[in-house]
Amino acid sequence: MSVASLCGPTCDAPLFVHVLGATLLFGALLTVTTLGFASVRIVQHGPMLRRLAFTTMLAVVWPSYILMRVGAQWVLSHEGLDKNTPGWVGVGFLVSDVGIVVLLVLTLLGWLGLRRPRVGTWFTGLAGIYLVALGVAVFAMSAKP
Amino acid sequence: MSRYDWLLFLHVTGAFLLIGGSVTAAVLNLSALRRERPSEIALLLGLTRVAVFAIYGGVLLTIVFGLWLVNASPFGYGYGDAWVIAALVLWVYSNAAGGMGGKREDETRKLAERLAAAGDTPSAELRSRLRDPVTLALEYSSGLAILVILVLMIWKPGA
Repeated sequence: MSVASLCGPTCDAPLFVHVLGATLLFGALLTVTTLGFASVRIVQHGPMLRRLAFTTMLAVVWPSYILMRVGAQWVLSHEGLDKNTPGWVGVGFLVSDVGIVVLLVLTLLGWLGLRRPRVGTWFTGLAGIYLVALGVAVFAMSAKP
Repeated sequence: MSRYDWLLFLHVTGAFLLIGGSVTAAVLNLSALRRERPSEIALLLGLTRVAVFAIYGGVLLTIVFGLWLVNASPFGYGYGDAWVIAALVLWVYSNAAGGMGGKREDETRKLAERLAAAGDTPSAELRSRLRDPVTLALEYSSGLAILVILVLMIWKPGA
């Protein structure tokens, strides 16, 4: 069963908002992970890279997350899945709702990292872990095991 | 899980890598545009290699499993469907434009590295190369084509 088969012809807009938000979120997290890793490795450009990672958190990660989450709720209520939630939707909920806490911590670490370079390692590690969690959510959402 | 579910997962993973990699490349390019020091510009353009790896993986997964999905789909899709043909044309365009834009940008990165080694002072030539309208048009139109492909994949007009 595919997402398209769950969502009828009228589900296109909610699904588009959800998928667009999720792909942008994946890319935004890949960006901050890359910048965080580089800031740890290339010390002389560390301040610039950490500032850029923090800016990306605020300007790209959070808007993408909101787009993804709003789209997910829209699909859910549109298809009546909020009344009878399948397991794979639960995985998506887990990753997205725990994601709020992770993104808040990441934002805090990103801000702290502007002054304390050592925080950059935690920032990069957490961003990498959440990137993997998003991969798990992609598997659950698309393969629906 | 059926074979169709696996194919869909691999195809969607490819889409995430392709769009995600494009987002990373766009953020790093836009950040480089706002910089003056050649060493910073060279670093940011060099980091786009991570994005390029994701894009390559995405390009491969989307086309291989996308074509396979059309064949394996239980919904009666065919290779002659307008939305499939349009997506393929846009996929080819996106790769060609992105590849050409990326090649031109790599030359800009090499210039930035040379300038960084020779004093790391801001350069008008580098600034001009970063804002080259042809390179920017190739890269932005490649990203736009990917976005239109996503629209086609969701709406499947005519299916």
